[in-house]
Amino acid sequence: MARLMANLYDVSKCTACRGCLVACKDSNQLPAVIEPFKGNYCTHEDTNGNTFTIIKFIEHEDPVDGVRWNFIKRQCMHCLDPECMKVCPKKAYTKSEWGATVQDPNKCIGCQYCSYACPFEIPKYRKHTDTITKCTLCIERVNEGLKPACARTCVAGALTFGYRDELLEQAEERVKFLRANGFPRATIYGKLEAGGTNMLYVLTDTPDKFDLPVDPKVSANTWVWQDWVQPYAGWLIPIALGASAISFVTNRVLANKNKDHAEGGHE
Amino acid sequence: MQWIPEYQGDVERVERFNAVARITHWGHTVTFLLCLFTGLALFLGGVDWLAAIFGGYRGAGLVHRIAAVGMTLMLGFGVVFGFMGVIEWVKDIFRFGINDIKFLMVFPFEFLGFKVKIAPQTRFNGGEKMNSVVTPTMVILLVLSGYIMWFPALFPAGLVRFCYPVHDLAMIFSTVMVCMHGYLGSFHLGSGESFWGMWKGTVRTDWAKHHHAIWYEETYGDKAKSE
Repeated sequence: MARLMANLYDVSKCTACRGCLVACKDSNQLPAVIEPFKGNYCTHEDTNGNTFTIIKFIEHEDPVDGVRWNFIKRQCMHCLDPECMKVCPKKAYTKSEWGATVQDPNKCIGCQYCSYACPFEIPKYRKHTDTITKCTLCIERVNEGLKPACARTCVAGALTFGYRDELLEQAEERVKFLRANGFPRATIYGKLEAGGTNMLYVLTDTPDKFDLPVDPKVSANTWVWQDWVQPYAGWLIPIALGASAISFVTNRVLANKNKDHAEGGHE
Repeated sequence: MQWIPEYQGDVERVERFNAVARITHWGHTVTFLLCLFTGLALFLGGVDWLAAIFGGYRGAGLVHRIAAVGMTLMLGFGVVFGFMGVIEWVKDIFRFGINDIKFLMVFPFEFLGFKVKIAPQTRFNGGEKMNSVVTPTMVILLVLSGYIMWFPALFPAGLVRFCYPVHDLAMIFSTVMVCMHGYLGSFHLGSGESFWGMWKGTVRTDWAKHHHAIWYEETYGDKAKSE
Protein backbone atom coordinates (compact mmCIF):
# COMPACT_ATOMS: atom_id res chain seq x y z
CA MET A 1 0.00 0.00 0.00
CA ALA A 2 1.19 3.40 -0.90
CA ARG A 3 1.96 5.91 1.78
CA LEU A 4 -1.25 7.35 3.23
CA MET A 5 -2.05 10.95 2.40
CA ALA A 6 -4.20 13.18 4.57
CA ASN A 7 -5.61 16.64 4.96
CA LEU A 8 -4.66 18.40 8.19
CA TYR A 9 -6.97 21.12 9.39
CA ASP A 10 -5.69 23.43 12.13
CA VAL A 11 -8.59 25.05 13.95
CA SER A 12 -6.32 27.64 15.55
CA LYS A 13 -5.34 29.06 12.15
CA CYS A 14 -8.78 29.05 10.50
CA THR A 15 -10.41 32.44 10.03
CA ALA A 16 -13.69 30.95 8.81
CA CYS A 17 -13.46 32.76 5.47
CA ARG A 18 -15.21 29.79 3.81
CA GLY A 19 -12.83 29.93 0.84
CA CYS A 20 -12.60 26.12 1.09
CA LEU A 21 -16.36 25.82 0.75
CA VAL A 22 -16.36 27.92 -2.42
CA ALA A 23 -13.29 26.18 -3.87
CA CYS A 24 -14.96 22.82 -3.22
CA LYS A 25 -18.16 23.90 -4.96
CA ASP A 26 -16.13 25.24 -7.87
CA SER A 27 -13.91 22.20 -8.26
CA ASN A 28 -16.77 19.70 -7.95
CA GLN A 29 -19.13 21.87 -10.05
CA LEU A 30 -21.83 21.90 -7.40
CA PRO A 31 -24.71 24.38 -7.41
CA ALA A 32 -25.27 26.79 -4.52
CA VAL A 33 -27.64 25.64 -1.81
CA ILE A 34 -29.26 28.58 -0.09
CA GLU A 35 -30.61 27.89 3.36
CA PRO A 36 -32.67 30.29 5.50
CA PHE A 37 -30.94 32.36 8.17
CA LYS A 38 -30.85 30.41 11.43
CA GLY A 39 -29.51 33.07 13.77
CA ASN A 40 -25.80 32.42 13.38
CA TYR A 41 -23.03 32.62 10.82
CA CYS A 42 -23.36 29.04 9.53
CA THR A 43 -24.31 29.13 5.87
CA HIS A 44 -25.45 25.51 6.05
CA GLU A 45 -26.67 23.53 9.00
CA ASP A 46 -24.94 20.40 7.78
CA THR A 47 -23.22 19.06 4.67
CA ASN A 48 -25.74 18.13 1.98
CA GLY A 49 -25.96 16.49 -1.42
CA ASN A 50 -24.53 19.55 -3.14
CA THR A 51 -22.25 20.80 -0.34
CA PHE A 52 -19.40 18.46 0.51
CA THR A 53 -17.74 20.73 3.05
CA ILE A 54 -18.97 23.42 5.39
CA ILE A 55 -17.59 25.65 8.12
CA LYS A 56 -19.50 25.37 11.37
CA PHE A 57 -19.64 28.31 13.77
CA ILE A 58 -20.10 27.14 17.33
CA GLU A 59 -20.65 29.53 20.20
CA HIS A 60 -20.06 28.03 23.58
CA GLU A 61 -19.81 29.50 27.00
CA ASP A 62 -17.06 28.36 29.31
CA PRO A 63 -17.34 29.28 33.00
CA VAL A 64 -13.64 30.14 33.12
CA ASP A 65 -12.74 31.34 29.63
CA GLY A 66 -16.00 33.11 28.93
CA VAL A 67 -17.61 32.92 25.49
CA ARG A 68 -15.64 31.03 22.87
CA TRP A 69 -16.42 31.21 19.18
CA ASN A 70 -15.20 28.03 17.53
CA PHE A 71 -14.93 27.45 13.80
CA ILE A 72 -14.58 24.02 12.32
CA LYS A 73 -14.48 22.65 8.80
CA ARG A 74 -16.56 19.52 8.35
CA GLN A 75 -16.38 17.04 5.47
CA CYS A 76 -15.83 13.32 4.95
CA MET A 77 -13.26 11.99 7.43
CA HIS A 78 -11.92 9.36 4.98
CA CYS A 79 -11.72 6.72 7.72
CA LEU A 80 -9.01 4.10 7.38
CA ASP A 81 -11.70 1.44 7.91
CA PRO A 82 -14.83 3.08 6.51
CA GLU A 83 -18.20 1.76 7.63
CA CYS A 84 -19.94 3.20 4.55
CA MET A 85 -17.87 0.83 2.40
CA LYS A 86 -18.91 -2.12 4.55
CA VAL A 87 -22.68 -1.53 4.46
CA CYS A 88 -22.98 -0.53 0.79
CA PRO A 89 -24.96 -3.33 -0.90
CA LYS A 90 -23.72 -2.27 -4.35
CA LYS A 91 -20.07 -1.99 -3.33
CA ALA A 92 -20.01 1.56 -4.66
CA TYR A 93 -17.34 2.60 -2.15
CA THR A 94 -13.65 2.04 -2.69
CA LYS A 95 -10.54 3.03 -0.82
CA SER A 96 -7.90 4.63 -3.04
CA GLU A 97 -4.29 3.51 -2.80
CA TRP A 98 -3.34 6.55 -0.76
CA GLY A 99 -6.41 6.52 1.48
CA ALA A 100 -9.32 8.47 -0.02
CA THR A 101 -12.75 6.91 0.48
CA VAL A 102 -14.45 7.33 -2.88
CA GLN A 103 -18.03 6.61 -3.83
CA ASP A 104 -18.99 5.74 -7.40
CA PRO A 105 -22.23 7.59 -8.25
CA ASN A 106 -22.84 5.23 -11.18
CA LYS A 107 -23.10 2.25 -8.85
CA CYS A 108 -25.12 4.06 -6.18
CA ILE A 109 -28.84 3.24 -6.04
CA GLY A 110 -29.71 5.76 -3.34
CA CYS A 111 -30.53 3.24 -0.59
CA GLN A 112 -28.90 5.54 2.01
CA TYR A 113 -27.51 2.69 4.11
CA CYS A 114 -24.18 4.55 4.27
CA SER A 115 -25.78 7.80 5.50
CA TYR A 116 -26.96 6.05 8.64
CA ALA A 117 -23.96 3.76 9.12
CA CYS A 118 -21.38 6.57 9.07
CA PRO A 119 -20.41 7.55 12.64
CA PHE A 120 -19.95 11.12 11.37
CA GLU A 121 -23.21 11.13 9.35
CA ILE A 122 -21.38 12.42 6.28
CA PRO A 123 -22.78 10.72 3.13
CA LYS A 124 -25.83 12.71 2.09
CA TYR A 125 -28.72 11.87 -0.19
CA ARG A 126 -29.14 14.07 -3.27
CA LYS A 127 -32.73 13.94 -4.43
CA HIS A 128 -32.39 15.06 -8.04
CA THR A 129 -29.84 12.38 -8.92
CA ASP A 130 -31.27 9.84 -6.43
CA THR A 131 -27.76 9.09 -5.25
CA ILE A 132 -25.51 9.64 -2.27
CA THR A 133 -22.73 12.19 -2.57
CA LYS A 134 -19.80 13.17 -0.40
CA CYS A 135 -16.28 14.63 -0.38
CA THR A 136 -13.84 12.65 -2.53
CA LEU A 137 -10.68 14.22 -1.08
CA CYS A 138 -10.37 15.51 -4.67
CA ILE A 139 -9.02 12.18 -5.85
CA GLU A 140 -8.74 13.27 -9.51
CA ARG A 141 -6.67 16.30 -8.50
CA VAL A 142 -4.44 14.36 -6.10
CA ASN A 143 -3.84 11.61 -8.68
CA GLU A 144 -2.54 14.37 -10.99
CA GLY A 145 -0.15 15.60 -8.31
CA LEU A 146 -2.30 18.52 -7.17
CA LYS A 147 -3.68 19.32 -3.75
CA PRO A 148 -7.39 19.03 -2.91
CA ALA A 149 -9.23 22.24 -3.85
CA CYS A 150 -9.90 23.22 -0.23
CA ALA A 151 -6.26 22.79 0.83
CA ARG A 152 -5.01 24.69 -2.21
CA THR A 153 -7.23 27.67 -1.62
CA CYS A 154 -6.83 28.11 2.15
CA VAL A 155 -5.35 31.59 2.64
CA ALA A 156 -4.85 31.23 6.38
CA GLY A 157 -2.74 28.09 6.03
CA ALA A 158 -5.16 26.14 8.18
CA LEU A 159 -5.31 23.28 5.66
CA THR A 160 -2.25 21.25 4.78
CA PHE A 161 -2.31 18.27 2.46
CA GLY A 162 0.49 15.70 2.62
CA TYR A 163 1.68 12.37 3.91
CA ARG A 164 -0.29 11.27 6.95
CA ASP A 165 2.72 10.32 9.10
CA GLU A 166 4.44 13.64 8.44
CA LEU A 167 1.25 15.58 9.13
CA LEU A 168 0.78 13.73 12.42
CA GLU A 169 4.27 14.81 13.54
CA GLN A 170 3.46 18.36 12.50
CA ALA A 171 0.14 18.19 14.35
CA GLU A 172 1.83 16.95 17.52
CA GLU A 173 4.28 19.84 17.42
CA ARG A 174 1.42 22.27 16.93
CA VAL A 175 -0.59 20.80 19.83
CA LYS A 176 2.49 21.10 22.08
CA PHE A 177 2.79 24.74 21.08
CA LEU A 178 -0.91 25.45 21.60
CA ARG A 179 -0.94 23.77 25.02
CA ALA A 180 1.96 25.94 26.12
CA ASN A 181 0.34 29.08 24.72
CA GLY A 182 -3.11 29.39 26.24
CA PHE A 183 -4.92 26.29 24.97
CA PRO A 184 -4.27 23.65 27.66
CA ARG A 185 -6.91 21.29 26.26
CA ALA A 186 -5.62 21.41 22.67
CA THR A 187 -5.66 17.99 21.05
CA ILE A 188 -5.31 15.99 17.82
CA TYR A 189 -8.45 14.44 16.36
CA GLY A 190 -8.45 11.69 13.76
CA LYS A 191 -5.27 9.93 14.76
CA LEU A 192 -7.07 7.12 16.57
CA GLU A 193 -10.75 8.15 16.39
CA ALA A 194 -12.92 5.74 14.40
CA GLY A 195 -9.82 3.59 13.86
CA GLY A 196 -7.89 6.54 12.42
CA THR A 197 -8.91 8.88 9.63
CA ASN A 198 -7.26 10.57 6.68
CA MET A 199 -8.72 13.88 7.79
CA LEU A 200 -6.71 15.14 10.74
CA TYR A 201 -7.67 17.94 13.07
CA VAL A 202 -5.68 20.13 15.45
CA LEU A 203 -8.28 21.33 17.96
CA THR A 204 -7.83 24.12 20.50
CA ASP A 205 -10.27 22.43 22.88
CA THR A 206 -11.86 19.04 23.49
CA PRO A 207 -13.76 17.57 20.47
CA ASP A 208 -17.20 18.06 22.02
CA LYS A 209 -16.65 21.84 21.92
CA PHE A 210 -16.50 21.49 18.13
CA ASP A 211 -19.58 19.28 17.79
CA LEU A 212 -17.34 16.33 16.92
CA PRO A 213 -18.25 12.93 18.37
CA VAL A 214 -15.85 12.36 21.27
CA ASP A 215 -15.78 8.64 20.66
CA PRO A 216 -17.16 8.04 17.15
CA LYS A 217 -18.60 4.55 17.11
CA VAL A 218 -20.55 2.48 14.66
CA SER A 219 -24.04 1.97 16.10
CA ALA A 220 -24.72 -1.48 17.60
CA ASN A 221 -27.75 -1.67 15.31
CA THR A 222 -25.46 -1.38 12.31
CA TRP A 223 -22.93 -4.04 13.29
CA VAL A 224 -25.56 -6.48 14.53
CA TRP A 225 -27.22 -6.05 11.15
CA GLN A 226 -24.02 -6.32 9.11
CA ASP A 227 -22.03 -8.91 11.10
CA TRP A 228 -24.77 -11.23 12.36
CA VAL A 229 -28.08 -10.81 10.59
CA GLN A 230 -26.86 -10.49 7.00
CA PRO A 231 -24.26 -13.27 6.94
CA TYR A 232 -25.90 -15.89 9.22
CA ALA A 233 -29.60 -15.40 9.96
CA GLY A 234 -30.58 -15.70 6.31
CA TRP A 235 -29.54 -19.39 6.30
CA LEU A 236 -32.79 -20.18 8.11
CA ILE A 237 -34.58 -19.74 4.77
CA PRO A 238 -32.70 -22.46 2.82
CA ILE A 239 -33.06 -24.71 5.90
CA ALA A 240 -36.85 -24.29 5.74
CA LEU A 241 -36.83 -24.94 1.99
CA GLY A 242 -34.59 -27.99 2.45
CA ALA A 243 -36.87 -29.43 5.15
CA SER A 244 -39.84 -28.98 2.81
CA ALA A 245 -37.99 -30.74 0.00
CA ILE A 246 -37.15 -33.69 2.28
CA SER A 247 -40.74 -33.85 3.46
CA PHE A 248 -41.97 -33.73 -0.15
CA VAL A 249 -40.01 -36.92 -0.90
CA THR A 250 -40.69 -38.81 2.33
CA ASN A 251 -44.43 -38.02 2.08
CA ARG A 252 -44.62 -39.69 -1.28
CA VAL A 253 -42.36 -42.62 -0.37
CA LEU A 254 -44.40 -43.37 2.75
CA ALA A 255 -47.68 -42.89 0.88
CA ASN A 256 -46.61 -45.50 -1.68
CA LYS A 257 -45.65 -47.96 1.08
CA ASN A 258 -49.11 -48.08 2.61
CA LYS A 259 -51.59 -47.61 -0.19
CA ASP A 260 -54.48 -47.04 2.16
CA HIS A 261 -52.79 -43.82 3.23
CA ALA A 262 -52.28 -42.63 -0.34
CA GLU A 263 -55.63 -40.95 -0.80
CA GLY A 264 -54.55 -37.47 0.20
CA GLY A 265 -52.92 -38.69 3.39
CA HIS A 266 -56.03 -38.76 5.56
CA GLU A 267 -57.14 -41.71 7.71
CA MET B 1 -46.45 -38.50 -8.94
CA GLN B 2 -49.00 -36.48 -7.07
CA TRP B 3 -48.37 -32.77 -6.59
CA ILE B 4 -51.30 -31.10 -4.86
CA PRO B 5 -54.08 -33.36 -3.50
CA GLU B 6 -56.72 -33.45 -6.21
CA TYR B 7 -59.80 -31.25 -5.95
CA GLN B 8 -62.81 -33.48 -5.42
CA GLY B 9 -65.96 -31.62 -6.36
CA ASP B 10 -68.18 -34.69 -6.11
CA VAL B 11 -67.83 -35.26 -2.38
CA GLU B 12 -69.45 -33.35 0.46
CA ARG B 13 -67.56 -30.10 1.18
CA VAL B 14 -67.74 -27.38 3.82
CA GLU B 15 -66.74 -23.71 3.62
CA ARG B 16 -63.42 -22.90 5.27
CA PHE B 17 -62.55 -19.36 4.10
CA ASN B 18 -64.88 -16.66 2.79
CA ALA B 19 -64.13 -14.41 -0.18
CA VAL B 20 -62.62 -11.56 1.86
CA ALA B 21 -60.21 -13.92 3.61
CA ARG B 22 -59.21 -15.44 0.29
CA ILE B 23 -58.68 -12.12 -1.48
CA THR B 24 -56.63 -10.83 1.46
CA HIS B 25 -54.59 -14.04 1.53
CA TRP B 26 -53.70 -14.09 -2.17
CA GLY B 27 -53.20 -10.33 -2.24
CA HIS B 28 -50.61 -10.76 0.44
CA THR B 29 -49.08 -13.71 -1.40
CA VAL B 30 -48.44 -11.66 -4.53
CA THR B 31 -47.22 -8.52 -2.78
CA PHE B 32 -45.13 -10.46 -0.26
CA LEU B 33 -43.34 -12.47 -2.95
CA LEU B 34 -42.70 -9.34 -5.04
CA CYS B 35 -41.27 -7.59 -1.99
CA LEU B 36 -39.27 -10.68 -1.07
CA PHE B 37 -37.53 -11.16 -4.41
CA THR B 38 -36.88 -7.46 -5.01
CA GLY B 39 -35.61 -7.15 -1.44
CA LEU B 40 -33.36 -10.20 -1.76
CA ALA B 41 -31.55 -8.42 -4.60
CA LEU B 42 -30.14 -6.07 -1.96
CA PHE B 43 -30.02 -8.51 0.96
CA LEU B 44 -28.01 -11.19 -0.84
CA GLY B 45 -25.67 -8.79 -2.61
CA GLY B 46 -24.08 -9.53 -5.98
CA VAL B 47 -27.21 -11.12 -7.46
CA ASP B 48 -27.41 -8.80 -10.47
CA TRP B 49 -29.49 -11.38 -12.39
CA LEU B 50 -32.23 -11.14 -9.77
CA ALA B 51 -32.29 -7.34 -9.96
CA ALA B 52 -32.25 -7.57 -13.78
CA ILE B 53 -35.65 -9.35 -13.71
CA PHE B 54 -37.11 -6.16 -12.30
CA GLY B 55 -35.15 -3.86 -14.59
CA GLY B 56 -32.05 -3.35 -12.46
CA TYR B 57 -31.63 -2.28 -8.86
CA ARG B 58 -33.60 0.92 -9.26
CA GLY B 59 -36.42 -1.00 -10.94
CA ALA B 60 -36.34 -3.55 -8.13
CA GLY B 61 -36.50 -0.69 -5.64
CA LEU B 62 -39.54 0.73 -7.39
CA VAL B 63 -41.32 -2.65 -7.55
CA HIS B 64 -40.46 -3.17 -3.88
CA ARG B 65 -42.12 0.10 -2.92
CA ILE B 66 -45.19 -0.41 -5.11
CA ALA B 67 -45.67 -3.94 -3.75
CA ALA B 68 -45.13 -2.64 -0.21
CA VAL B 69 -47.91 -0.10 -0.65
CA GLY B 70 -50.05 -2.90 -2.10
CA MET B 71 -49.30 -5.03 0.94
CA THR B 72 -50.27 -2.18 3.26
CA LEU B 73 -53.53 -1.75 1.34
CA MET B 74 -54.19 -5.49 1.61
CA LEU B 75 -53.71 -5.27 5.39
CA GLY B 76 -56.25 -2.46 5.45
CA PHE B 77 -58.63 -4.35 3.16
CA GLY B 78 -58.53 -7.44 5.37
CA VAL B 79 -59.13 -5.49 8.55
CA VAL B 80 -61.89 -3.28 7.14
CA PHE B 81 -63.90 -5.79 5.12
CA GLY B 82 -63.11 -8.86 7.17
CA PHE B 83 -63.16 -7.30 10.60
CA MET B 84 -65.24 -10.06 12.19
CA GLY B 85 -63.09 -12.65 10.49
CA VAL B 86 -59.95 -11.13 12.00
CA ILE B 87 -61.61 -11.13 15.43
CA GLU B 88 -62.57 -14.80 15.02
CA TRP B 89 -59.03 -15.56 13.88
CA VAL B 90 -57.47 -13.87 16.91
CA LYS B 91 -59.97 -15.59 19.22
CA ASP B 92 -59.01 -18.95 17.77
CA ILE B 93 -55.29 -18.20 18.27
CA PHE B 94 -56.03 -17.56 21.94
CA ARG B 95 -57.59 -21.03 22.23
CA PHE B 96 -54.03 -22.43 22.21
CA GLY B 97 -54.16 -25.32 24.66
CA ILE B 98 -53.07 -28.85 25.47
CA ASN B 99 -54.31 -30.22 22.13
CA ASP B 100 -52.13 -27.72 20.28
CA ILE B 101 -49.10 -28.77 22.31
CA LYS B 102 -49.89 -32.42 21.53
CA PHE B 103 -50.16 -31.46 17.87
CA LEU B 104 -46.80 -29.69 17.85
CA MET B 105 -45.15 -32.69 19.51
CA VAL B 106 -46.23 -35.15 16.81
CA PHE B 107 -46.01 -32.60 14.01
CA PRO B 108 -42.47 -33.52 12.86
CA PHE B 109 -43.73 -37.06 12.08
CA GLU B 110 -46.87 -35.78 10.39
CA PHE B 111 -44.64 -33.38 8.44
CA LEU B 112 -42.52 -36.22 7.08
CA GLY B 113 -45.61 -38.22 6.15
CA PHE B 114 -45.86 -40.80 8.96
CA LYS B 115 -49.32 -41.81 10.07
CA VAL B 116 -49.89 -40.27 13.49
CA LYS B 117 -52.80 -39.83 15.83
CA ILE B 118 -53.63 -36.14 16.03
CA ALA B 119 -55.51 -34.64 18.97
CA PRO B 120 -58.73 -32.84 17.88
CA GLN B 121 -57.91 -29.34 16.64
CA THR B 122 -59.87 -26.10 16.53
CA ARG B 123 -60.19 -24.08 13.32
CA PHE B 124 -56.41 -23.60 13.26
CA ASN B 125 -54.11 -26.31 14.55
CA GLY B 126 -51.11 -25.70 16.79
CA GLY B 127 -48.78 -25.04 13.87
CA GLU B 128 -51.25 -22.78 12.10
CA LYS B 129 -51.70 -20.84 15.33
CA MET B 130 -47.94 -20.34 15.48
CA ASN B 131 -47.91 -19.17 11.87
CA SER B 132 -50.88 -16.90 12.60
CA VAL B 133 -48.89 -15.18 15.32
CA VAL B 134 -45.45 -15.02 13.72
CA THR B 135 -46.21 -14.10 10.11
CA PRO B 136 -48.65 -11.19 10.67
CA THR B 137 -46.44 -9.81 13.45
CA MET B 138 -43.44 -9.92 11.15
CA VAL B 139 -45.40 -8.38 8.28
CA ILE B 140 -46.49 -5.50 10.51
CA LEU B 141 -42.86 -5.01 11.58
CA LEU B 142 -41.79 -5.11 7.92
CA VAL B 143 -44.36 -2.49 6.99
CA LEU B 144 -43.50 -0.16 9.88
CA SER B 145 -39.71 -0.44 9.52
CA GLY B 146 -40.07 -0.22 5.75
CA TYR B 147 -41.84 3.12 5.78
CA ILE B 148 -39.33 4.50 8.28
CA MET B 149 -36.47 3.48 5.96
CA TRP B 150 -38.34 4.87 2.95
CA PHE B 151 -38.72 8.31 4.57
CA PRO B 152 -35.70 8.43 6.87
CA ALA B 153 -35.65 12.23 7.03
CA LEU B 154 -38.91 12.21 9.00
CA PHE B 155 -37.60 10.00 11.80
CA PRO B 156 -34.73 10.15 14.31
CA ALA B 157 -31.51 8.66 12.91
CA GLY B 158 -31.31 6.12 15.77
CA LEU B 159 -34.72 4.73 14.85
CA VAL B 160 -33.74 4.47 11.17
CA ARG B 161 -30.59 2.51 12.14
CA PHE B 162 -32.68 0.21 14.33
CA CYS B 163 -35.01 -0.49 11.41
CA TYR B 164 -32.32 -2.08 9.20
CA PRO B 165 -31.75 -5.19 11.36
CA VAL B 166 -35.47 -5.29 12.25
CA HIS B 167 -36.50 -5.28 8.58
CA ASP B 168 -34.01 -8.03 7.76
CA LEU B 169 -34.90 -10.23 10.73
CA ALA B 170 -38.63 -9.80 10.13
CA MET B 171 -38.05 -10.72 6.48
CA ILE B 172 -36.12 -13.86 7.50
CA PHE B 173 -38.65 -15.08 10.07
CA SER B 174 -41.65 -14.35 7.88
CA THR B 175 -40.00 -15.99 4.86
CA VAL B 176 -39.21 -19.13 6.88
CA MET B 177 -42.86 -19.28 7.92
CA VAL B 178 -44.03 -18.59 4.38
CA CYS B 179 -41.83 -21.40 3.01
CA MET B 180 -43.26 -23.89 5.49
CA HIS B 181 -46.79 -22.52 5.08
CA GLY B 182 -46.59 -22.63 1.30
CA TYR B 183 -45.34 -26.19 1.32
CA LEU B 184 -47.78 -27.50 3.95
CA GLY B 185 -50.67 -25.76 2.26
CA SER B 186 -50.03 -27.39 -1.10
CA PHE B 187 -47.61 -30.26 -1.72
CA HIS B 188 -47.84 -31.85 1.73
CA LEU B 189 -50.17 -34.81 1.22
CA GLY B 190 -51.78 -34.70 4.67
CA SER B 191 -52.62 -31.03 4.84
CA GLY B 192 -52.56 -30.18 1.12
CA GLU B 193 -56.36 -30.25 0.99
CA SER B 194 -56.30 -26.92 2.82
CA PHE B 195 -55.05 -25.42 -0.47
CA TRP B 196 -58.58 -25.79 -1.82
CA GLY B 197 -59.91 -24.20 1.33
CA MET B 198 -58.01 -21.07 0.43
CA TRP B 199 -58.37 -21.32 -3.36
CA LYS B 200 -62.00 -22.34 -3.78
CA GLY B 201 -63.15 -21.70 -0.24
CA THR B 202 -64.23 -25.24 0.64
CA VAL B 203 -62.59 -28.41 1.96
CA ARG B 204 -63.72 -32.02 1.95
CA THR B 205 -65.97 -32.72 4.92
CA ASP B 206 -64.09 -35.90 5.85
CA TRP B 207 -60.80 -33.96 5.77
CA ALA B 208 -62.26 -31.23 7.99
CA LYS B 209 -63.54 -33.84 10.47
CA HIS B 210 -60.15 -35.50 10.57
CA HIS B 211 -57.91 -32.42 10.69
CA HIS B 212 -60.03 -29.87 12.56
CA ALA B 213 -62.45 -31.98 14.59
CA ILE B 214 -63.37 -29.29 17.11
CA TRP B 215 -63.89 -26.65 14.43
CA TYR B 216 -66.05 -29.03 12.37
CA GLU B 217 -68.16 -30.01 15.37
CA GLU B 218 -68.70 -26.39 16.38
CA THR B 219 -69.46 -25.07 12.91
CA TYR B 220 -71.09 -27.91 10.98
CA GLY B 221 -71.66 -30.60 13.62
CA ASP B 222 -75.02 -31.82 14.93
CA LYS B 223 -75.04 -29.30 17.73
CA ALA B 224 -74.40 -26.34 15.41
CA LYS B 225 -77.06 -27.59 13.01
CA SER B 226 -79.71 -27.88 15.70
CA GLU B 227 -79.15 -24.29 16.86
